[in-house]
Amino acid sequence: MKKIIYIFLFAIVIGFFLAPFVYLFSIPDLASFEKVWLHANTLKAIENTFIVAISVGILCTILGLPLAWILTRTDLKYKSTLRSWFCLPYAIPPFVGAIGWIILANPSSGILNQWFKLNLNIYSFSGLIFVEVSFLFTFVLLTALSVMDNLDSSLEEAAKLSGAKPLQVFRHIVLPLLKPALITGFVLSSLATAASFGVPALIGGPARIYLMTTQIFNFQRLGTAEGLQLAIATSVILAMLSLIVLYVNQLIMSRNKINTVGGKSSQRSYTKLHSWNNPLLAILTSILFVIFILPIAALLLSALSPIQGSWNFSELSLINFKRVLFETDETGRAILQSLFLGSCAAVISTVFAFFFNYFVYRTKWIGRNIASVLMSVPFTIPGTVVSLAVILSFSRGYFGFGPSPYNTLWIILIAYIIKYMSLGVKTVGDGYQQINVSLEEAARISGANWWQVMITIYWPLLKSSLVASLFLIFMPVVSELTMTVLLTGPGLETLGPLIFQFQEYSDIGGGGAAVLSVLVVALILLLNFSLKKVSQGRYGL
Amino acid sequence: MSEVLFKNVGKSFFNKNSTTEKVGPSWAVKDLNFKINNSEFVSFLGPSGCGKTTTLRMIAGLEENTEGQILFDQDIVSDPENNKYLVPEKRNVGMVFQSYAVWPHMSVFENVAYPLKLRKLNKDMIQDEVQKILKIVELDGLEKRRPHELSGGQQQRVALARGLVMKPRILLLDEPLSNLDVKLREKMRRDIRQIQKDFKLTMVYVTHDQVEAFQMSDRILVMNQGVIQQMGTPEEIRNQPANDFVKDFIQ
Repeated sequence: MKKIIYIFLFAIVIGFFLAPFVYLFSIPDLASFEKVWLHANTLKAIENTFIVAISVGILCTILGLPLAWILTRTDLKYKSTLRSWFCLPYAIPPFVGAIGWIILANPSSGILNQWFKLNLNIYSFSGLIFVEVSFLFTFVLLTALSVMDNLDSSLEEAAKLSGAKPLQVFRHIVLPLLKPALITGFVLSSLATAASFGVPALIGGPARIYLMTTQIFNFQRLGTAEGLQLAIATSVILAMLSLIVLYVNQLIMSRNKINTVGGKSSQRSYTKLHSWNNPLLAILTSILFVIFILPIAALLLSALSPIQGSWNFSELSLINFKRVLFETDETGRAILQSLFLGSCAAVISTVFAFFFNYFVYRTKWIGRNIASVLMSVPFTIPGTVVSLAVILSFSRGYFGFGPSPYNTLWIILIAYIIKYMSLGVKTVGDGYQQINVSLEEAARISGANWWQVMITIYWPLLKSSLVASLFLIFMPVVSELTMTVLLTGPGLETLGPLIFQFQEYSDIGGGGAAVLSVLVVALILLLNFSLKKVSQGRYGL
Repeated sequence: MSEVLFKNVGKSFFNKNSTTEKVGPSWAVKDLNFKINNSEFVSFLGPSGCGKTTTLRMIAGLEENTEGQILFDQDIVSDPENNKYLVPEKRNVGMVFQSYAVWPHMSVFENVAYPLKLRKLNKDMIQDEVQKILKIVELDGLEKRRPHELSGGQQQRVALARGLVMKPRILLLDEPLSNLDVKLREKMRRDIRQIQKDFKLTMVYVTHDQVEAFQMSDRILVMNQGVIQQMGTPEEIRNQPANDFVKDFIQ
């Protein structure tokens, strides 16, 4: 039975995680790439993607790196509270932040423009970059934090004893040791920018600034054969670029291995800030206020304001909530369907990861490592590309076989599972690595067959990893926008695209997008804190 | 209880890293021929990496031999030439692991009852059997404890009880005392030997500690680099070491 299950799982990996992408990559011929090259808008989109992605990557590094050092290595007041707050934007979908900033800083009625006459225009290159950075700096922050947590304090102490001042310790010791994490953080935040759809669609759209993802969306929405051809060719270019960048990053990492990081850490010691403590605390709190609290407060105000654009606190009401939640058919459907898709994707991926990881970590069978890599690739491919590959492979049944899931919830579910399986595989895999093999062997000796070992030993032992995996998949899926917006249709509403639709055109009075955004943020924060609670701080932000 | 017979048993693997083509197989263990009698206490003694644990795990079925035959009494449990291999769960062999391998998600009672539950015994019988065994290993009263609430020595006793409760054909112990402090180790040695005599168990005990082997065993099997150096009673080995290796090792 063990072998049959392995072959079955392996076939699924090849069929779902490899075949759609191979097929997508095999479609465009030279002529269609040439078309992309000759298409002025597309060329401009590629250029924009590069400019925005690199700027965001640099700014994220500049913001995230010192932040990580201050939050781990100094005696700053309220350090751990600030740390969890600064990590939070990682969990929240950036397009929600974009809506918040449109309310704050759109040129005609932005709150900041109205109240403080700031003349901000969020619909611009700098607006786009700012909103991306305000969420994606967490990629740098989280990678840097995990390295700093494992950095041996004695390395810094030795520098201090040699006569280095705090800033010199940072520059001479910490920074060089952090280089790998720094490069990775830069690469991840740049790639996340290139892959993002919501922020460039909502903020870049009105400014006529298109990135490759929004350009692909436009092409696909044309519905013509030529549109599709251009969408596919642009997708392949975007996916190729992402994979190449990641591969180069891997190469650099494997060449620059520094072994002193991650050694057994001695007594932790902190750099004393002395008179810098209060000013620094003020600076960090202001940054947090601007990038996180301000847009969410704006969403709340918009959700509670009966008339959008005249912002004051005297006429707050729940009329928007009433309209959106109880008088709009799509909302109820979207909430139910998002919860349904999120639960299904989380359960299926977690169960799959539970069984598949057994073969990865407990056998030496052929193909297990390749399959493991294949399952992690879609997570690094931009969602727009993943959903295009899914559409092409599944729209007429699976490559022409069986019933078509197109225009049903199932194709959305398939896309979610393909994209987010990696999170489950990683989380459950970490769990397997913590379990001594002898626990399985003792059960075999006691008379348990493989199936009984899985159910009575691994399942209960991995419980916390399995629960974490459920949460980690459910959270991004429940508000997913990038992929769903290409796969959805009438009757297939989910929360992400519905917010997008409200914001773009369908909620005429305004405020509807803000209502749903507030609910999504509340739901995700709730899930995040529950995860942190049940995993005793091992998972969650 | 059963006797164990090894006939020309070996385990080989091909070295993947070898660049030259004409490299033969590497041997984890080779040409193992020995018999462990019914109700006998045999120790496998040797330096780490000598193949003693591999041999023990081949008895359990956790490791497959590539050559030769392994028999429990008249039953062939492994014979790769004829594609015969009995999986560990069907061998009815008990084992105490070096790391104890006490399941952290089960109480002491559940740990010990596990083999009996798999054998579909009824509840009252399981209750009786487990109580009896826990008394023997001096853990009565701790049934509801979780492994993390136990000391190393107590966890060791849970593992021993779990091996005993299934009335195994053979009980295997893989360096079971190496994680205990000296005082406790002394007591455990005596207790294990006593239990072995009381139950007339066929017991195989892996150790790199020669004091332990000489103190406890009916016979000792000395191994080095995957090959048997000598097998005999403690007196035979002490008085007539078969070669220089044995002589050096037991000093």
